[in-house]
Amino acid sequence: MSTNLRNVTLICAVPILLGVALATGLAWSGTPDSTAAVAAAASGPVQKWAKVSVELPASHAAFPPGNGADIANGQCLICHSAGMVLRQPPLTLDEWTGEINKMRNSFGAPLPADQVGVLARYLVGINGRQQSPKGPAAVDGQGS
Amino acid sequence: MQRSTSLRPQLSRRRFLARAGGIGLTGLLGASAWEAMAATLVELPMVNGQRELVTDFPQKGAMLLQRTRPPLLETPFEVFDQGVFTPNDRFYVRWHLANIPTSIDPATFRLNIRGHVQQPVALTLDELVREFKPFEIAAVNQCSGNSRGFFSPRVAGGQWANGAMGNALWKGVRLKDVLDRAGVKAGAVQVRFSGLDTGLLPQTPNFMKSLAIDHARDGEVMIAYAMNGEPLPLVNGFPLRLVVPGWYATYWVKMLDNIEVLDKPDDNFWTTKAYLIPDTPFANVQPGQQGVKMIPINRMLPRSFFTNVREGAVLKAGQGTTVRGIAFGGDTGVAKVLFTSDAGGRWQEARLGPDQGKYGFRQWEVPLRLSSPGPHKLMIKAVNTAGNAQPDHPNWNGAGFMRNVIESVSVQAS
Repeated sequence: MSTNLRNVTLICAVPILLGVALATGLAWSGTPDSTAAVAAAASGPVQKWAKVSVELPASHAAFPPGNGADIANGQCLICHSAGMVLRQPPLTLDEWTGEINKMRNSFGAPLPADQVGVLARYLVGINGRQQSPKGPAAVDGQGS
Repeated sequence: MQRSTSLRPQLSRRRFLARAGGIGLTGLLGASAWEAMAATLVELPMVNGQRELVTDFPQKGAMLLQRTRPPLLETPFEVFDQGVFTPNDRFYVRWHLANIPTSIDPATFRLNIRGHVQQPVALTLDELVREFKPFEIAAVNQCSGNSRGFFSPRVAGGQWANGAMGNALWKGVRLKDVLDRAGVKAGAVQVRFSGLDTGLLPQTPNFMKSLAIDHARDGEVMIAYAMNGEPLPLVNGFPLRLVVPGWYATYWVKMLDNIEVLDKPDDNFWTTKAYLIPDTPFANVQPGQQGVKMIPINRMLPRSFFTNVREGAVLKAGQGTTVRGIAFGGDTGVAKVLFTSDAGGRWQEARLGPDQGKYGFRQWEVPLRLSSPGPHKLMIKAVNTAGNAQPDHPNWNGAGFMRNVIESVSVQAS
């Protein structure tokens, strides 16, 4: 492409791009797919990379007192803050047991098997509901 | 677009006025009771839905606290009324593992591409920016479990309302181009991604997600180094995040530093055991239903929301106003957004805002005049360009994934 042609292209491209920008900015019910246009227009200044250092807030929340609170404070808080547990909906004994076993089996919580029952009953006590008479727990116990 | 001040979102919010000592809360909150005294509390419309609006996370504005460590921060819904791009400092945050680096030095950071390739590559951030063609795309990032708190019966997990989503203009490089630099060998089947975060216990599985090789090379999956024109906030994945347009956010690996081409299917925990959905329409099953085939979660479903009118709002009868909101098509664009003010009796097409890309949010608006005083049920439904519409009844599964029922708000005309 000659220098002249390049200049012409630039001169023409500016109003066209402006037109596109205006059309996209103002026209409601625009074209259904402008992904390609967005991709083609990708440019801009080179990214400047600065070191980033931040501080994440700590959680000082502890579990409320009760039989099993020491297990909850000692075990659950290794990997996550207490709020995750306290903000759950009230769960049944089976559902809490399922959650505890997910933490042991999938994520490696070092909770001895003989403490699962105590912890589950504690969690029902602070945030539980009666077992549904209709059978299986609603929760599928995935690791997510 | 005309803004209607009469319909500003009304947050159910109250100042927390505990007196010095915070007696009632010391048991629950321990040492943080003192800090909580100044906190603003928000009631999400679900049992046990009280959340603190916090401002102490780095590079973030006011966010709804779901969990401090590892952070789960929800975008307050009124943010979505401000436009189709979610500001970086209000963009939701979701981490699985608590060992998150809090300091990243771009001088030493490397993106590694390895595995079933011709030659492993370690790229600096400058090389990514300088040596690859930039690519930009608007795309919604939505947590698989967005809206989990509205499941009935309730299920365990992050108890989000509708704010575990956001739309950004992502800028970076195509994954395909980066894979080509390393040279994918014949026989590659998947590409696995992981970031700098790790678990607290050595036995906790590292967070890794995989995509099929053809998906990874489709020219849309990308590695973002900028979000809405700025570097990503650290808690949103600085310096690099995988962007998988149209797919749930579990695949959008944050602090991405490792790309591994696999010559056999990934068998890691996060791919084979977690983030599985029933292989049914809308991932819908009955509570307790057994024997359903489970598959990895994948493409998003269409959704739409009201952003300037909330449950219980009071509107002036006989007076015209504008109702508006946002919609997205899931794995493709929005074809139309349908509105009803008589609980689904008569649907009308909403006017759509500018199209910023088929994977992004799209604003919608309708003029509304409720002539008769009394209760009215407003509903909104998106239909995507593949013809898929939001369902009339809520989809349900035990993990609380993929909610996309038609949204409704009950208002009062007086």
